[in-house]
Amino acid sequence: MDKLGQEWVSATVDGETDAQTMADLAADTHSHDKWHNYHMIGDAMRGELPQNIMLDLSASIAAAIELEPAIVAPKSRASAAPQIAANSEQSRVVPLFKQFGQYAIAATVAMFAIVGVQNYNQTADDAASPSPVLITRPLIGSASPVSLQTGPVQQNQGHSSDQVSEQRHRINTYIQDHMLQQRLNTGAVVEDNNDVVPVPN
Amino acid sequence: MRLILLALLALVFPAMAQEDMAAKVWLDKMSQALKEKEFKASIIQLQADHIRPLVYLHGKVNNQEVAFLEYLNGPPKNAVRVGNRVTFIEHDEPAYSIVSDHIQGVWPAAFSANMADLEIGYQFVLGGRSRIAGRPGQMIRLLPNDEFRYGFQVWIDMETYLPLRYDMLTQDKQLLEQIMVIELIELSEPPAILLEAYKQEWPAVIDQAERQDGQNWQFSWLPAGFIVVVRDHHRLIGSHETVEYIALTDGLANISVYVARAGTSKLPEELITRNGLSLVSETVGNAEVVAVGKVPTETLARIAKSLTLK
Repeated sequence: MDKLGQEWVSATVDGETDAQTMADLAADTHSHDKWHNYHMIGDAMRGELPQNIMLDLSASIAAAIELEPAIVAPKSRASAAPQIAANSEQSRVVPLFKQFGQYAIAATVAMFAIVGVQNYNQTADDAASPSPVLITRPLIGSASPVSLQTGPVQQNQGHSSDQVSEQRHRINTYIQDHMLQQRLNTGAVVEDNNDVVPVPN
Repeated sequence: MRLILLALLALVFPAMAQEDMAAKVWLDKMSQALKEKEFKASIIQLQADHIRPLVYLHGKVNNQEVAFLEYLNGPPKNAVRVGNRVTFIEHDEPAYSIVSDHIQGVWPAAFSANMADLEIGYQFVLGGRSRIAGRPGQMIRLLPNDEFRYGFQVWIDMETYLPLRYDMLTQDKQLLEQIMVIELIELSEPPAILLEAYKQEWPAVIDQAERQDGQNWQFSWLPAGFIVVVRDHHRLIGSHETVEYIALTDGLANISVYVARAGTSKLPEELITRNGLSLVSETVGNAEVVAVGKVPTETLARIAKSLTLK
């Protein structure tokens, strides 16, 4: 039995047992020491031993839990502080990530705000505006294909495609010229940056 | 003991002074910081569904302001400013220089100019504080005095007074555009790239003398604070259409007004792009008046209607 028991323990250390065997093992305190030793041997063979070998970690944890007062939460916080001081490189990571989470949320809100503007404009145009409102595709992008610098415009359909493209072209020209003028109006205030280029004359 | 008290006072007073500072003082300090400080700022610009990362460096070499702006995504696009000359370097165009004391595309030029100019159109209001780019920032609202322009809010770094974030908002507080610093580093000396830029030969300034005077168009109405900056006639880019051109500004909002012969295809009367740029067209006889700018369309429509030839 003892020999057989050792094999169980060995198999468990290598992760080759089922739930039933685990339950049996859990009841067998004699095998616990073996389990511990096998792990230790395995770790040593793989060169994974920590610098300070805590020979009975579970026992020390159990002792620590005994000492823990009834109100756990505030205590754990207070006791975390010295750890941070001792081990600041690692422990700093956690609060940092918490903050990242907050900023991620803030960023999402910002993005929603913008989507809101688009939808708002669209519905307002569709519902209320009697004038021929615009645009299906990135407007300025059609004039400068690789443009990351332009914002698309909205439009309703309902014109012949020639008219639409002619119209779009003209709107394009005006908007691009406006952008360029912002650059050229020296002494004036200039604002937006766009894929515009100067004309020779 | 006395020394300690003095030291405490010295520490406390600037902090208290900051508590009491008026919005205008914050903005003036920002304007000064943008001109004086040496810094590197990593920035993102949000416009509709576009996010553009960019880097802006500013410093002083031989008592001249040198600045460098680089767009980090897409085809290379840079701008270099040495003193009063700005050179644009873009992938598909030969580099060209213009006379300007500001690189367009980051902070509005008004931020590094005289803030008092904005007071006709906007009211400065002290807002709350929040943390941006890891730094405490004081928010200042620039509320429009009327419904003819959009509002702005800017967060100013409490330590360096450099701007950390800038929002453009519609009247119903919808965000149109945002520029936000994600990392700000204050430098003690100009970075190597600015020293290099200072020494570099840049293309000569393109000749602005070609600008001929336009005809004497007058506005019977303009929103308070708007002034005419430029008036000329030129050809539109990418077309041979000749237009009379007038540029208006109130310091933050810029409007272009064009007068052209009415084309074969009529332009839409109103149009808003998603980044807040509006376009309005108005037919007057056989001429077409087109106004473009980041202001509400009603403003543009009223300006276009008020245009008369004297």
